[in-house]
Amino acid sequence: MKAIGFIIPVVLGVAWEVVVDSGLAVGRLMPPPSVLWRTTAALAASGELWTHVSATMTRIGLGFLFGAVAGTFVGVLTGASGFLRQLLDPSIQALRAIPSLAWVPLFILWLGIFETSKLALIAMGVFFPVYLGVLSAIEGVDRKLVEVGRVFGLTAMGIALRITGPAVLPAWFAALRTGLGLGFMFVVAAELMGASEGLGYLLLDGQQMGRADSILVAMIVFALLGKACDSVLVAISVPVLRWQDTVRARL
Amino acid sequence: MTQLTISHVGKTYADGTEALRDIQVRAAEGEIVAILGGSGCGKTTLLRLVAGLDVPSGGTITVGGETLSGTHPAISAVFQEPRLLPWLKVGANIAFGGQRLEAAERQRRTEALIERIGLAGYGGRWPRDLSGGQSQRVAIARALIGHPGVLLLDEPFSALDPFTRASLHELVLGLWTELKPTILMVTHDVDEAVTLADRIVVMKPRPGRVHDSMAMDLPRPRDRLSSAFELMKRRVMRTIDRSLADERPPAARPAGPGGTSPWL
Repeated sequence: MKAIGFIIPVVLGVAWEVVVDSGLAVGRLMPPPSVLWRTTAALAASGELWTHVSATMTRIGLGFLFGAVAGTFVGVLTGASGFLRQLLDPSIQALRAIPSLAWVPLFILWLGIFETSKLALIAMGVFFPVYLGVLSAIEGVDRKLVEVGRVFGLTAMGIALRITGPAVLPAWFAALRTGLGLGFMFVVAAELMGASEGLGYLLLDGQQMGRADSILVAMIVFALLGKACDSVLVAISVPVLRWQDTVRARL
Repeated sequence: MTQLTISHVGKTYADGTEALRDIQVRAAEGEIVAILGGSGCGKTTLLRLVAGLDVPSGGTITVGGETLSGTHPAISAVFQEPRLLPWLKVGANIAFGGQRLEAAERQRRTEALIERIGLAGYGGRWPRDLSGGQSQRVAIARALIGHPGVLLLDEPFSALDPFTRASLHELVLGLWTELKPTILMVTHDVDEAVTLADRIVVMKPRPGRVHDSMAMDLPRPRDRLSSAFELMKRRVMRTIDRSLADERPPAARPAGPGGTSPWL
């Protein structure tokens, strides 16, 4: 059944290949799959593709790590303490309202044009959804289950580890997936602001050189990497969340 | 076995709502006391105070002579809904109630209880795979694994069908016979109260107060079809009726002491 998802892209690809091959269209601005394949093979053979992929993935990995750890940590703090929530949450929500790309000039001024500012931008993109997901999940923990912990003698730390922790796990994984998606969005922005390697750079280079095929290859690789990273997160979450009584668990 | 004493307990919420006024209930060691009353008479509030989940506005609650100031290791509870932790398997949910036991003893009691509640082979299953009655059995086992001195039952059978309810009554009575905890249960089911309790405390609402306390001196096991059981039920229903009549404005009360009871 999973193969059904391939039908539309394959049909569209084959149809476009036929259209260009028969001379009905030139395909310069929208190259057919055969051209994209040749471009990909050439980039792979020269090693250029791996350079770009590894640069992008390193940025995503580090930015996601920093953003997810910070978002989880601050989310747990504000979720656990009403005082900290009142102290920190209004400021964080105000910062969240600023479009993240608006930070780019300031990050470049503060942190320079190189890696640090890029990582900061990606981490910030990941931070907000993770923070918000963790905070709302903690606020939404079923009071009745917390009472079970209290009746059976758990301390506040015991309740945090044995009730609140497991209860927020599903929302945490969902927040991480959202954060990862935003991380991919922000890595493009980061690599557009003066990188010499990375898939974002490949996009910019393709635009400047008039190479639609390079742009499309970079986009397809982004899609594959994004999907692969998301699948890794899902694969990690499946054994941890196998207790869930959800439609998905029953499928 | 532990004696439970509720002394002049009142509860008024921050918004000024008075939920309970001057409640006095005493449960002797190993006694089953049923708190009976309609919705809104503060039954569950009272149980939450005894469980240590809420703080009384006045009065004291003592368990085995010790005044309560929060949850107490000798007090355990079964709630209206099973409240099993969905991320723990059945066996682990039962073991969860034995936080204070050593690991080996907790394991031994868990295995024994799984057998005792008729769920042998279910220890490795998830709560989502259980029926309502099975889940409530697990909740009862979780509440009893630590051999509590006082067991609180907050209408744990109210959402179950009559067949499951009857089998759970038997289970609770069987486990009570073995472990003899003092049981304080709240219910709105007269039949259930007469089946299980040694004493029934009838409450009246707005604010919740004790209307009457009646001894259920029927021998055990109790035959629901016997005339003695039926007579006891009628006595309880009349008491409830009187508690309600006290609450109605004079015009709405039945005429005189011989007025027709809506229960009969």
